[in-house]
Amino acid sequence: MSTKSIRIKRYLPEQAEEAFWQRYEVPVDDSTSLLDALNHVKEELDSSLSYRWSCRMAICGSCGVMVNGIPKLGCKTFLRDYPDEVRIEPLAHFPVRRDLMVDMEIFLEHLAAVKPWLIDEASNAAEPNRQTPAQLARYKQFANCINCGLCYSACPQFGLNPEFLGPAAIALAHRYNLDSRDHGKAQRMPELNRHEGVWSCTFVGFCSEVCPKHVDPAAAVNQGKVESAKHTLIALFRG
Amino acid sequence: MHPNERLPPLPRSWWLKHRYFIAYMVREATVLPLLFFAVCLLAGLIALLRGEASWMNWLAFMGSAPVLLLNGLALAASLYHAWTFFQLFPRVMPLRIAGRPLPHQAVVAAQWAGVAVVTLISLWLFMGGAR
Repeated sequence: MSTKSIRIKRYLPEQAEEAFWQRYEVPVDDSTSLLDALNHVKEELDSSLSYRWSCRMAICGSCGVMVNGIPKLGCKTFLRDYPDEVRIEPLAHFPVRRDLMVDMEIFLEHLAAVKPWLIDEASNAAEPNRQTPAQLARYKQFANCINCGLCYSACPQFGLNPEFLGPAAIALAHRYNLDSRDHGKAQRMPELNRHEGVWSCTFVGFCSEVCPKHVDPAAAVNQGKVESAKHTLIALFRG
Repeated sequence: MHPNERLPPLPRSWWLKHRYFIAYMVREATVLPLLFFAVCLLAGLIALLRGEASWMNWLAFMGSAPVLLLNGLALAASLYHAWTFFQLFPRVMPLRIAGRPLPHQAVVAAQWAGVAVVTLISLWLFMGGAR
């Protein structure tokens, strides 16, 4: 087993106002993930390092960080793929609370605003909701979102204007709008129709590149533009 | 105050940080040479209305080296923009035939086939085939 040098952007608000870079030597082999390296630093080298993690298998969405400027999940990133330097920073476009931990409050607000749950006031909770495989296939891809927030760090429009609902929230709104069991589209469309809804997106498309679950949020947002345009036109003709 | 309001604004050079963003800005900038071409066409229409002398002047202008160069750039820009647009189209408008999603490559190929057909018809029309 060899060692590798990684650089971590530290921010300790009680010690210094400015963030600073710190270098650590970590043992690596072919299977060492970035999260393994962070855990090694925390357990063996420097217990003051703060970062989030839980499942270590790309399901919980906690361990998002910037690796050489690109948003990545620590558990799904392997140091073998970085022969040169590795710079680890907190996720971009979110306020940093400490070291690699960011405040995701605004993302959670945007998520709640689009009501990402099944809305069906007429449904009888005792009855199972039936759905055919074809109906499931319409939204399944967009249901794979793990709320990791990598797409928000990849999105320059969110970076320029944090009021933009952003890729994941719109992808989840679209996921429920496409669900045959859901009847909440009329409640979600006013959020999506706003300038800070789907129309702030300029299809840079980097959100879909960095998505660890291949949700393709850029496709969802731009399908949302088609829906928003239809919704607005229909409302216009109805008067 | 919302926590995000304390974040420094993105620098104007944000798009220089990654080749993906640079490609995006190039895609958006294709509008500039296309705008030049559109203005040329408009000037041509006005020249046509003004009479023969004006029209001959416009033809000479369109044939000059810098204008040919700029319009060549506009052609390349529109082809690049089409290439990016055709790839994005099936993601924005997923098409279904008899309930089955159409493969993305088929949609992209169909769009290029459309370009080929329009180009052939235009060549036939403007090269005197319709005469």
